Parts: sequence; structure tokens; C-alpha cells
Amino acid sequence: MAASANVSEKKKIAIEFAVTYAAAGALALACGAVFIVAFGGDVLVALGTVLRSSLGTWGGFAQTLNKFCPLLLASLAVAFGMRGGHFNIGVDGQIYAGAIGMTGTAFALEGMNLPWPVFVPLGLLGGILGGWFWGFIPGILRVRFQVSEIFVTVMLNFVALYLVDYLANGPWNDPLAGEAISLPIPDASVLPQVMPRAGAHAGFIIALAAAVGMYFFMTRTIAGYEIRAVGDNPRAARFGGINVARVTLIIMPTCGALSGLAGALEVSGFHQSLLLGISGAEGAPNYGAMAILIAVIGRNNPLGVTIAAAVFAVLVSGSDSLQRSIGLPGAAVFVFQAIIVLTVVFVQARREIRG
Amino acid sequence: MTETAAARVEMHDVSKSFGQVRALDAVDFEAAKGEIHALLGENGAGKTTLMNILSGLYRMDAGRIAVDGREVDIGSPQDAIAVGVGMVHQHVELIGNFTALENILLGREGARWKLDVEARRSSVEELAANYGLSIPLDEQVKTLPAGIQQKVEILKALYHGADILILDEPTTMLTPHEVDGLFSILKSFAKGGLTVVFITHKIQEVLDNCDRITVFRGGRKIDTIPREEATREILVRMMMGERGMPPEGERPTGPSAAREGHPALSVRGVRTSAKRGVPLRDVAFDVPRGLIVGMAGISGNGQKELAEALAGLIEVEEGEVHIDGEDVSSLSVAGRIARGMSLLPQDRIEEGILPGLSLAENFVLGLHPHIFRRRGIFEREAVHEMGRNAIAEFNILARNEHVPAAHLSGGNIQKTIVARSVMLAHTTGGKVMIANNPTRGLDVMAASFVHGRLRELRAKGAGVLLISEDLDELCLMSDRIVVIYAGEILGAFDGPKYDIYRIGALMAGQKQGAGS
Repeated sequence: MAASANVSEKKKIAIEFAVTYAAAGALALACGAVFIVAFGGDVLVALGTVLRSSLGTWGGFAQTLNKFCPLLLASLAVAFGMRGGHFNIGVDGQIYAGAIGMTGTAFALEGMNLPWPVFVPLGLLGGILGGWFWGFIPGILRVRFQVSEIFVTVMLNFVALYLVDYLANGPWNDPLAGEAISLPIPDASVLPQVMPRAGAHAGFIIALAAAVGMYFFMTRTIAGYEIRAVGDNPRAARFGGINVARVTLIIMPTCGALSGLAGALEVSGFHQSLLLGISGAEGAPNYGAMAILIAVIGRNNPLGVTIAAAVFAVLVSGSDSLQRSIGLPGAAVFVFQAIIVLTVVFVQARREIRG
Repeated sequence: MTETAAARVEMHDVSKSFGQVRALDAVDFEAAKGEIHALLGENGAGKTTLMNILSGLYRMDAGRIAVDGREVDIGSPQDAIAVGVGMVHQHVELIGNFTALENILLGREGARWKLDVEARRSSVEELAANYGLSIPLDEQVKTLPAGIQQKVEILKALYHGADILILDEPTTMLTPHEVDGLFSILKSFAKGGLTVVFITHKIQEVLDNCDRITVFRGGRKIDTIPREEATREILVRMMMGERGMPPEGERPTGPSAAREGHPALSVRGVRTSAKRGVPLRDVAFDVPRGLIVGMAGISGNGQKELAEALAGLIEVEEGEVHIDGEDVSSLSVAGRIARGMSLLPQDRIEEGILPGLSLAENFVLGLHPHIFRRRGIFEREAVHEMGRNAIAEFNILARNEHVPAAHLSGGNIQKTIVARSVMLAHTTGGKVMIANNPTRGLDVMAASFVHGRLRELRAKGAGVLLISEDLDELCLMSDRIVVIYAGEILGAFDGPKYDIYRIGALMAGQKQGAGS
């Protein structure tokens, strides 16, 4: 009986979810349509173009997968922090720290002639550690001195950005490139391609594995339980004997590690060198900003975040084609994203107020 | 006073549902001019809902309301006050940073844009004098004791024109002296022609102070009877229905019941820093095994800090805390839990519940490192099974163990955290239970449930520290009572019989009443 009640409970929640998102989606489409018309575009053409260029061709699909990877990992990093009650807005800095860790490891091990199955994981580990450290700093400052992680992570974004700037222009600069970009990483540290001709690297598989891993960690481990308890009500968690400081020192560095992996995969799989602009394509919002939106839409739930990240990846990779086909600025897509987020938040709030 | 006496307020066939829950089912109620009318019932019986309808906070689904025989439509608190209905809620709803005078004038400032407090001072002073309410009008409300804050609320209602005054559980936060004071004021109101309706679940207050009593149970009105016809037994039977009397349980026996060996809890000269709230000053007492030691005191005299210092949440600057002879002063909360300490936090919402987590996950908080640590894996099936058992054993009203704890009612949330700490005590060998106001805001049945669990632990040889602001509860439960005032223990009284006025004097800080 309890089991059947449980099923109906889950069904109810699922229906509520579906209604919320259907309503938000419809509202977002309507707002987006108004926006496109205002720019003098044709709504159906615009929509068709975005979908065709991001999903309809192998090359476009590969680009979508390549965007999906960092978006998903960055969003998981935000969601992980939110579940534990911490607002991580330092994803960009952690991505850069991960990219530096990856690149540095690749350069350091260059002469050892490692085969790629050894070299790539070592490089990614370097990236994870870089991000981990970038998350550890706000974690320890929070625990020791009660400094808000919001300020620290924002500041560290700048530190990481200028560190990349320095490395890409200075010690690691590629003199032949004539711009702020490092020498390419060794071939054996480059992540293998899954769709070599279309250009999709294996990062999305790793990102999906991270989402599954986070789900199990949160629901099936003691540490995950303690994180959720602290995020839900830190005071009650303390009364329950949970060491909130220790939990914080798991949460923030793990956020960093997830973002760091995103940065490492961007280097190892996509750019194959260190450069500015790794966190986010040109003219687009940074991954860190989008990750917060995705985490909100996905309600910090790994499955929800995965779906939301996929939708965003489609929009991001379809954005270029908008300009080519109907003369809309590519940024129109980001306006559209913002509209989705606002409508989801709005519809959720309405439902909560009505009870 | 009979049914035919001029009814000041009449409510007929009033029904109200919240979602699936029928809170009121065709209820009739009437109150006369010049009477004190008690609404008695358990939590959830419908008494507060009915008064919230009368005072314009809720809209009824069906029914009629008449004031002085004229039918009225009450859609907002403004409508209610327009026909003379004012309500003082259980939790003070004043603005802490405003003075008493500003609070009283709030919502009735007169001019549309300009708040001219001084112009109206004399009218407020006059009203206060007429009703015998002495209030420091220029103090910030947050600095005033609970009893005075309540008087501010009452004066505010009167100032806004209320002559039907509704009070929801007005005595919860008051000392015995303050309770006496409140009722003598209410009696003078009634004598002056006001209608006073007060909501309570405390039978003694009803017997001591009311003209008529209306009893509610499960959203229905059971009956209205005059005071002369009421006895404790009759009222209990009306409130509880076929369930009959709540079990009286074993009475406390006094300190002679203490078991041999180390005391379960020994507090030795504990001092805490003023940075952590009310500083504790040389607090020393023992909780022997097999006893319930009550701690009496008015809210805000260091009870919270003491509970937290014992739990390991705030640092002890000087002194020691021993559990069963072992110094635990330097141990973490988890370390103390592992040595047999159970905690029942005072604020079930802020300190007790994990609102977004499932009921099952709420039960295991604190317990989770002890029985579920198998290579760090959270054994969900075991957690769920434990949740199902706890729901059945502790009679918690919830659809199943998966619902988020936030969906439960207050009483069931309290049962949940009681269940948690009792299960914790059973698992860790339960040497000492620290229960901080475990029955605040609970109805008779739920409170007696909590009491039963505490007595059970006592019978098993645990020491129980029961911190409470309800002196009746302490007298009913404790083998010994210690009194805390301004972070200091002012005296100890051995049970099972207590002189509540001597204890009350110590609670108010009068040292000369020091006890036996």
C-alpha cells in the first residue's frame, strides 16, 4: 500500500513538473515569437533554422554535443553547491583553473612519451585538481572566517581570468600564433573524438557520467545525505551532529572539481591549447552565467539539469545560424534563453503561491 | 447567561476546507455581550480557523455571520474591525523596531501620507488608562517582555475599535503571575461590556476564568456549556470524544527514584561567552539516572544557550559537562550523540526539521552515522523501512515515508523529531535526553504523547532534562525542578509536589524565595 501511494505521489509530482514546464515553454515561445517579429524575422523560419543547424546535420549535432559537455558539467557544479546551500558563482574561474591544470599537466609530462590512455586521464586529473583548489579557497575562507563564498568566488573569477591571460601571453605563448594563445598541447593528451568527421569529442560521455555519479552520490551516500541536510536546514543539521564545516569543505571543492573538469575537457577535447574565452563562446554569456540558469531550470536535480543543459546546448549551437539565415543577431538566442528562465521561475513562483 | 441573551456575534453553519481537509463542518457559534467565552479544543479542532474567519483572515466556504443581529460580510481584517472584531494572535505580530505607540497607531495613522504619532498620544494614553493597561508607550517593542507585548496587541485592537476581542492561546508565553494579570484585565473588560473570546487547549484556564465554554473536536462544534456545568472530566471527554481521557501516566516520584552510579548528566560550573547570547554564569546541576529534572524559567534567560552548550553547539568557556561520568566538554555534537546524548531542539522548524527532505530521511538525522554506515553507503531500503515503522509506532499523520517533512502539520512535525530523538536514544543506549520545550504549541493528545515518551526513557534509566516555560508541565513531569534566571541557577526544588508561586518568584528573579 505504501508502495502504491508512493507511485501516485511520484506521478503527481511528475505531472506537476510537466505542467510547469509546458506552461513555461509555451510562454517562452510566445515571448520569443514577439521578440523575433519585432526584429522583423519570421518565427517559424527562425525556429526551424535553430533546430536544423543544431540537430539536423552531423556537424551541427557534433557542435551541440561539444557545447553540452561544458554546460552540463558547469551546471552540475552550480547545482551541487545549491543542494548544499552554497551559491557558487565562481564556475568561470574554476573552469579556467581546470584549463590551466590540464594544460600545465600536459606540458609538464610532454617529454615522457605517455600513451593517450594514460596521458589524457592524467591531464584531466590535473584539471580537476586545479578546479578543486579554486573551490577549496572559498570553502576554507567560509569555514575559517565566515567569508561569503559569493564574494570570494566572484573575485577568484578575475584571478583565474588574468592568470590565463598571463600564461597565454607569457610563458606558454605560441609565438607563431601572434595572439593570446598557448602552444598546442601534445597530441597524446588530446581527448579522442567520438565522431571524428563531424568533430564531436568524447567529453559529453564524461559529463553524462558525472551527472549519473552526482545522482548516486547525493541519494545513496552518507556524505550526500549530509550535504542535502546542510543545504536544507543547516541549523537542524548541526543539531543532528553533522559537522557543517566539514561538509562545506566537501561541497565547494567538489563544485570546483566539476567545473575544473569542464575546463580541462574544453582544452583537451576542443581548443587543444589554453586561451582566453574558454568559458563561453565569443559574444555569448559565459558558461558560469548559463550554468546558474540551467541549475535553476533543472531544480538542481541531476536529471533536470541534464535536460535543461541539452536544451541550452541546442540553442547555443543554433545561435550562429540565426544571423546567417534571417539576419537576427546571434545574441537573440540568449535573449530567448533568458525568457525561458524567467518564465520557468515565474510559473514556479505562481504555483508555489497558490499552494 | 442563556442562549436567548442578546448575542453580540452569531455564526451559523460555517464551513471551511483547506484542500482535502475539512477544517470546519457546519459550525454554529455565538458569544454574548459582557462575557468571557472560551473556545476549547485540540490543535486542528477548528477553533482558530473559526476565529480567523470571524476576524477576516480567512473566507468561509459557506455560512452566515451576524453582529448585533445584523448579517455582515467579513472579507478582510478591515471589514472585521469595522464591525468591532479584533484578534490578538498566538504569535506577537508587532514590529519590533517600532515603539509601542507606533505599533498601536499602525494602520490607523489618520493622515494619508504623514505619520503624526504625537498628535494621537493622548487618545492612546486615555484608552490605556480606561482599561487599566499600563504600557511603556515609547519603548521599542522588541525590548519588552512577552506579557507586555501582548498588552500592546490588546490595546492596539481596542484602539482600532474592537469590542469583540479574540485572543488565540494568550497564555503560552506568560509566567503564572502574568497569566493572573491577563485574566484580571480580561474580566474587567467583560464587566465593562466587551465580548472576550479566548482560544485555548488548557482546561484549567477555562475552568478558572470563563463564563461559557464552546468545545470543538475535529472541525465540529461539540457543545456550548456554562461554566457552572463544566468539570475537568466533562471537558476532557468533550475534547477527546470516544478516545477518553489521555493517560495520566505515572506521576513523578521525586529525587528518591534516582538510580545509583554516575549521574546521566553533570553540569559543573559552566560559563559561556556573552557573544553567544545570554551568558551562562556558573551553571551547575546534575541529572541523575532515572529522573526527570525540570528547568523552569521565562523564555530568554539562558535556556537556549544552556541546551546548546550541553549539546556541543556553543563553546563552554569554563566548567565541564559530563555524560555518565565522562567529560565530554571538548567533544563535538556527533561525539556527544555517540556517548548517549539525545537532543530535542526547541524550535522544531528552525532547528528540528529538514523541510525538503523526506520523512524517512528526517528520522535518521543524527542516527545516520551509527546504523547506516556501511562503507559510506546510505542504505535507502533500511531508511525507508525505519520510516514506515516510525510512522506507525509514533502515530504520525503522513501519507507515507516519502513525503517532504514540510508537508506535515506542526504537531506531526513535532512527533517526527520526538520519534527521531527517541529512536536515537534507543540506538545509542540513551543515557541523557535534553528536551527543550518539547510540547510548545502542541495539543493535549500530542503533548501527552511526548510526555509518555519522556517517562519511558526515565523508566529505562535515562536522565531527562526537561526545559520548559510551562510550569504546569514541569510540575506534572519533574522529579526535581531547577530555576534559571539571567543565565544563573537560582534554586532547586525537590518534587513531587511544588509550590508554583515560590518557583514563579524565582523565575522572576527574586532571590529571597530560594527553595528547599
